[in-house]
Amino acid sequence: MQEFSKKLAVQFKPKYLFAHLVLFGVGLVLLYPLIFMVTVGFFTEEEFMTTVLGLLPFAKQPTWENFLVLFNGSADAAIQQYFLNSTIRTVYATFWALLTALLAGYVFARLKFRGKEVIFLTLLATQMIPATVALIPTYLQFARWPFAGGNNIFTGGTGILDTWWVYLIGGPSINIMGAFLVKQSMEKVPYELDEAAKVDGAGTLRIIFRILLPLQMPIMAFIAITTALATWNDFITPFFYTSSDHLQTLPAAITRLSSAAASPGTVPNWPLIITLSLGTTLPALLLFFFFQKYIVQGLANTGIKG
Amino acid sequence: MISNEGKAVEPDGGQLAVTGGLRKFPRKSAVKRRDGLIAAIILTPMILWWLVLSGFPTLFGFVLGFFEWIGISDSPKFVWFDNYVRFFRDPLYYQALWRSIWLGGLVTSITLLAGFGASLLMNMPLFGKGIYRSVWYIPAVTSTVATTQIFNILLDTNNGVINNILISMGKPPIVWQYSVFWGVFWIVVYSVWKGVGGAALIWLAGLQSVDTALYEAADIDGAGRFAKLMHVTLPGLKPIATYIVITNLISAIQIYEQVLFMTNGGPYGQTEVLVFRIYRDAFWDFNLGMAGASSLIMAAIVLTATVFYYRWSTVSDRSITTRRSRKIRKGGL
Repeated sequence: MQEFSKKLAVQFKPKYLFAHLVLFGVGLVLLYPLIFMVTVGFFTEEEFMTTVLGLLPFAKQPTWENFLVLFNGSADAAIQQYFLNSTIRTVYATFWALLTALLAGYVFARLKFRGKEVIFLTLLATQMIPATVALIPTYLQFARWPFAGGNNIFTGGTGILDTWWVYLIGGPSINIMGAFLVKQSMEKVPYELDEAAKVDGAGTLRIIFRILLPLQMPIMAFIAITTALATWNDFITPFFYTSSDHLQTLPAAITRLSSAAASPGTVPNWPLIITLSLGTTLPALLLFFFFQKYIVQGLANTGIKG
Repeated sequence: MISNEGKAVEPDGGQLAVTGGLRKFPRKSAVKRRDGLIAAIILTPMILWWLVLSGFPTLFGFVLGFFEWIGISDSPKFVWFDNYVRFFRDPLYYQALWRSIWLGGLVTSITLLAGFGASLLMNMPLFGKGIYRSVWYIPAVTSTVATTQIFNILLDTNNGVINNILISMGKPPIVWQYSVFWGVFWIVVYSVWKGVGGAALIWLAGLQSVDTALYEAADIDGAGRFAKLMHVTLPGLKPIATYIVITNLISAIQIYEQVLFMTNGGPYGQTEVLVFRIYRDAFWDFNLGMAGASSLIMAAIVLTATVFYYRWSTVSDRSITTRRSRKIRKGGL
């Protein structure tokens, strides 16, 4: 208790007050666009169009409509569908990212075989190649996917473009960054643990899932949250490889609506864009709040280990 | 360090433990053969699938750089290095590359300096420092598409918040989209807004990994606050500084989403950066050859930066790391 009051007294020293002031003040500025988004979310379309927007506009007749639309759908856009697509995609990608990271991480951390280092370093090196390189080739590949979408072997149809497969197909491929993180984390676990389990008759899968997995939970949580956020926020896959409305995700829907926003003199459908932005941002924030401990920890780890 | 609360962590971050663990592996060849079989069973499907879906398209993208291929329906024509020659002759491309580099440098330096300042403050025993850390990091988890739209509302010409404030102060409103300066300015502001929290967290982890005994020694030697910063903190941060500078630089020269959504390269292509140019070529102009060539050049720059980082970081802590852990460190980007 004494220590607490000592700590409390320290907070009022000028140096500490200054730190609080800066961290709080700048923090508020950093949050401002999001606060603005939420307050604007309470406007009806008519009021938004007629209000002269101030620093923090408050609606005179606040409405929950823009938030409810995320669950009830609207006439303008199949928001529920986008929401559902985003969610399914995210869960699917996260599941595979975790599974492949865990298995590959185990192989690289625990098993001894020829060419291990070469394979691992080659995979890691590819992570530095900008992803844009593969965009067009991936488009062509999807369009020429054998025997799909009316293709007779390579040509004739649209392949898997504009189908759910563009979201699903990448799942089982190896999650390289995740494998790297799991490998690092697993190497800290004493090898004797595996040995003991092996003596007790445990097979490889049992060792991975029963012995090692429980000890990798922090890093698995970090992988899960980063993958989930990246997938949730990704607009490229839906934007470039699909065109049907029922396949869009929330960010892709915003992308489509916003092409007008970057050119002067046009009035985009701001209320709808704001609603979709809310729908994209709020779940990400929720995820962040639930997993923030692991994010901070994971970031620190990746940074330190570089 | 945050992950090992209360424990001082060696700057090596447990790498030595890694190599120590590896040496304990049984070296019998029968075990090795069995390991090899399990590894093959687990890895082969994942890596094959990865080769099909990522490896092959990436290679194909590089190969495209040697072809002239305009429009997907057109048939490609092999033109050797023509696309690369054009890249360095056509201002559209070399200017975009140059813009990527200085914009990336600008964003990186502001982000890292601001993040460093913030981390020094966050490292003090403040009440609610956990909350500060989270709040500062929040922009990083938001979707670029969504938050750039909020910035666009703030910057709207007719009813934008900033223009409304300018008007209420009796100043004329600004059409941000017509000005190169403001275009770049807001792209930088957005990028710093998004990156500063993450930078602060990594700096903070670095600060907390500096050996506290060194500070005590400095105290005994009568060093002031500034002297401690210069002679203990900064040298202790060197490994993490190289990491954070290079990773930030690599991602900052590849910025394009904020350009795409905030200025769309305008006015008159004056804010086009290279990766944005690749996008334009790929999806609007269908100039697949130039897109391939540009992306190979981008990849070469990123890989060069990585190699520099690798050499730099290995020189800086040769004394404490072993060969194997340096190899692991290389992959840490």
